[in-house]
Amino acid sequence: MRFFVCAAAVCLLLMVGSARAGLDVVCTTGMVADLVREVAGDRAKVTALISDGVDPHLYKPTRDDVAKLLKADVIFYSGLHLEGRMEASFEKMRQRGIKVCAVTSSIPEEQLLKEGDAEDPHVWMDPLVWAGCIGAVEATLSQADSQGGATFKDNATRIKARLEALSEWIRTAAATIPPEKRVLITAHDAFQYFGHSAGIEVMGLQGLSTESEAGVADINRIVDEIVKRQIPAVFFESTLSEKNIRAVIEGAAARGHTVNLGGMLYSDSLGAAGTPEATCEGMLKHNTRTITNALGGNAP
Amino acid sequence: MIWTELDTWIVLTGALTAMACAVPGVFLLLNKQSMLGDAISHAVLPGLAIGFLVSGSRDSFPMLLGAVLAGLFTAVVSGVIERRGRVETGASLGVVFCSLFALGLILIRIAADHVDLDPGCVLYGALELAVIDSAAVPRIVWQSTAILLLNLTLAAVFFKELQVAAFDPRFAKASGIPSGGIHHGLTVVTALTTVVAFESVGSILVIAMLIVPGASAMLLSRSVAGVLFWSLVVALASALAGHLLAISVAPEWLGWLTGRQDLGSLNSAGMMAASAGLIFFSLLAASHFARSISGRGRASVL
Repeated sequence: MRFFVCAAAVCLLLMVGSARAGLDVVCTTGMVADLVREVAGDRAKVTALISDGVDPHLYKPTRDDVAKLLKADVIFYSGLHLEGRMEASFEKMRQRGIKVCAVTSSIPEEQLLKEGDAEDPHVWMDPLVWAGCIGAVEATLSQADSQGGATFKDNATRIKARLEALSEWIRTAAATIPPEKRVLITAHDAFQYFGHSAGIEVMGLQGLSTESEAGVADINRIVDEIVKRQIPAVFFESTLSEKNIRAVIEGAAARGHTVNLGGMLYSDSLGAAGTPEATCEGMLKHNTRTITNALGGNAP
Repeated sequence: MIWTELDTWIVLTGALTAMACAVPGVFLLLNKQSMLGDAISHAVLPGLAIGFLVSGSRDSFPMLLGAVLAGLFTAVVSGVIERRGRVETGASLGVVFCSLFALGLILIRIAADHVDLDPGCVLYGALELAVIDSAAVPRIVWQSTAILLLNLTLAAVFFKELQVAAFDPRFAKASGIPSGGIHHGLTVVTALTTVVAFESVGSILVIAMLIVPGASAMLLSRSVAGVLFWSLVVALASALAGHLLAISVAPEWLGWLTGRQDLGSLNSAGMMAASAGLIFFSLLAASHFARSISGRGRASVL
């Protein structure tokens, strides 16, 4: 009996201890974790399940990941099918009493880019669309921690202003690229939102899925365009192999046009922890600088 | 290492699924059709594409339905090709699943290039997530128990027919056993088991457990009933050993080797498949050892 009383006391102490440390928040991607961290400030311990450099389409959870999810107070995921079959499991966790939120749920419908019925999930590429997620994050955090409401509101306003400034910065930087060269060519179709926000035309070598392979016709179509418009550079992504994009470079070389490898872009994952690219803002700035400078512009 | 309720459910579900696959796996092995599971994992692609085109969504149900139909198609057509085309079993499977996979790629390219429609994204579940449920006992536990019982019952009822059809089709024909029907039944049951298990626990565990427990059990016993029994034991042992390796041994060893404490657990389904492989190779080594000692032909380990 005494053992149980002691155990209960220890549990109680642990609960009080963890309550003081703030909410336990688990996010799927680094991008979501970054946004939630900004809004939550020091009122929550935020962790991301999918580590940097991992393609979220190919991520498989381990037992420790699931244990983290089940222990969490709040779970944030991206949504719009980015997490695939995991989304159904999040609903199960909601039934078990964990607060679950798809951050993209508060983005106004008309801001989502669609092809057919399917929405493009890569919304973090456009700071103004990404800012639409702040509403859902703030509301969910305030529900989970009612005392933090004022802090979350302040933080939300601040991060919203920062994202708006970032959007301006991207637009200004991209505007230095000569108009006829404003074309972004990458391996998979993740940059539509970015192109939209920067005013750059986007051409992906393969479809939206990271599984599908580029065909010869795709490569030829892109090479035609590069030669016709004398595009100086193409780009590859941190989570994908650069094999196909090399085929484009060789194809253009065979037609007498030298196209450079413009550099590595971050698309489905943030940079490694500790680097400037480990935040959404840093990653978008890195992408903008890489693209602008390689295409003949002059990024600040 | 801390053992929680989560671990119990993961091991239980993994073991039940592994055993459910091991039962038809033994007969597939006897029929030289072991790669049926792997073939189906590729052949489901056009099923997913058609499911998406017809329903316009990537919800679980149309995806599962499309995958089941594609799986059944693979099972039936490869059987027909084998008998009419007089090609070897492996080759007929290869012809069917490659064509279906290519058809799937073409369908996706034509009609669904703008959505993410690969099996990993819309069909395969994950063992670790499947056990999360609002009910006291997760639905997946009942589902895999039901499949295991069904497969065991079928194996018991048609035991003689399955055995004769596998070893001596001519004798089967002479004694009035429809070996063609038995064959078809086996592949259809396998296709259903495989696709339903893909949907709940992912592909690697299923493909491995169709082959490795049966192959290991062949080293332990010479009778079909004995092989069936030992394949269930191997399947169970692989699930338990695999999860233990995933949550404790591997992260601790790797953590010690690399000096990193934050590595966390490994994928349990993958480690269960790897453990099955380890068990097979240990038994193989043991049977070689036993043979060299006894100095006779193929000796059983036991």
